[in-house]
Amino acid sequence: MSAGARVQVDNVSAWFGQKVALSELTVEFGPGVTGLLGPNGAGKTTLLRIVTGLLPASRGAVRVAGGDPRQDATVRRVVALVPEDEAVPGPLTARQLVRYRADLNGLGHGGIAAADRALDQVGLTGVADRRLEGFSKGMRQRAKVAAALVSDPQVLVLDEPLNGADPVQRVKLIALFRRLGDDGRTVIVSSHVLHEVERLAERIVVLVNGRLAAEGDRRAIRDAMVGRPRRVLVRASTPRALGAALVAQEAVTGVTVDGDVLTVATARAGDLALALPRVARQVGARLREVRPLDESLESIFRDLVR
Amino acid sequence: MTTQLILVRYALRACLPARRRLGLLLPAVGAVLFGLLAHAVEGASRAEAFAEVASAGLFGIILPIGALVVGDAVLGAEVRTGTFHFTWLSPVSRVGIVVGRWLAGTIVAGATLSTACALAAVVAGVPRAAPAMAASVLAGTAAYIAVFVLVGAATRRAVVWSLGVVVLGERLLGAALDGVAQLSPGWLARAAYGGLSGAGELLRAGVPFGWAAVWRLALVAAVALAVAARRLQSLRLSGQGE
Repeated sequence: MSAGARVQVDNVSAWFGQKVALSELTVEFGPGVTGLLGPNGAGKTTLLRIVTGLLPASRGAVRVAGGDPRQDATVRRVVALVPEDEAVPGPLTARQLVRYRADLNGLGHGGIAAADRALDQVGLTGVADRRLEGFSKGMRQRAKVAAALVSDPQVLVLDEPLNGADPVQRVKLIALFRRLGDDGRTVIVSSHVLHEVERLAERIVVLVNGRLAAEGDRRAIRDAMVGRPRRVLVRASTPRALGAALVAQEAVTGVTVDGDVLTVATARAGDLALALPRVARQVGARLREVRPLDESLESIFRDLVR
Repeated sequence: MTTQLILVRYALRACLPARRRLGLLLPAVGAVLFGLLAHAVEGASRAEAFAEVASAGLFGIILPIGALVVGDAVLGAEVRTGTFHFTWLSPVSRVGIVVGRWLAGTIVAGATLSTACALAAVVAGVPRAAPAMAASVLAGTAAYIAVFVLVGAATRRAVVWSLGVVVLGERLLGAALDGVAQLSPGWLARAAYGGLSGAGELLRAGVPFGWAAVWRLALVAAVALAVAARRLQSLRLSGQGE
């Protein structure tokens, strides 16, 4: 078992031409699983590529296990990355790819057993000798996870690792990442899906527009996200009666009616979700549609940084 | 297993799989056809006719195109498609990575092209020129692959830049300037063959010939690989399709 190593990101900025991907970001990652959350284009992938040394920071410094990931070969020995890209060397089998990574990391004869173990951890043992070009997106993702795990890294960087995985594999991968974190490794997992990160990590770092928007315990982050006012569209058979009944609810701050459509404003969406079916039953209204109007992660993230 | 062997084996399997190596058969067949073409040259001995065809066809077209296909595949294509991080993010030295990729490319392209060009000499009716042709094409391939590996490490559009090196650098500038021809794999390989086979019409003032040209090709390859290794240190791997 490897001990985790600290990852320190100190005042890092990154830009590509005119586009600023990261702006004066300071954050630290330690042993355990940390979720990196943010909407698309927030700078998550850029940050992870800088942390692993694949990209240089335009300004600022990154230290991984005390070294520079761009320059120190010793750092590359303790870090492993599972990138978001689907790209894999198609002509290789999953076993060949994992063995290659083992050989590059100097595992020698132990590489065979380590590769078998890594493939087993991601549930690819049965298809390990099939070419990667014939793999589905989820299987490719798992092959990349196996290739990352084979060197027993202290720092594991996972960029949207659950993309393409089926529900059963998701559960298994989440359990695997949590186990790695519990073992004391530093595991950084990026995602743009809040509930996915919640299941993975106790600590969450939120990036928006290349800046640190929030950082801390996942419950505190969730409260900050779900406690905001939001609007819910309700389509019902007797909208006026339902609207009048909803206004009386504590969780509701306002209702507008337009035809058979109600727009309900609330600061406690959870309470509204519980109250709505009950109230509809009481007034004899049939609910045809219920959906949040401003529930996109982008809008939630925007509220966080206001 | 040594690190070099690991890198070469990976490059052969992942970058140059069997079907891509089959793609090299096209320039190989082209080489043999150029050998046949030598029979159509009138008013010259067999050796002179073959030297003429080899100069324009084998050293001017087959060698750079064949080497470009392989040279791009061993590094530039991997950087573009986003799979190079599997190699880059490892404790292996940058020099080791570059040399491993170059070796794999030289083994595949060198074996195919030098055999095909030697066969072209036989087909042209100049079998005694075959060893000289094989040696000069092998040396030229090694230098070309090194240059294309450097281009792959230095730029995203490796194929375009590699073609630029061949067409603008070698063809246009190399034809006009001796200083460029002295460092050009195409011109040096041509001069190597001219010196080794006694085809005086392929020699050019100011450009080394025979074994001196082969040594110069080795020097060009070594310098290109050294610069490529240095360039790899500052490579930006921004991901698939970026």
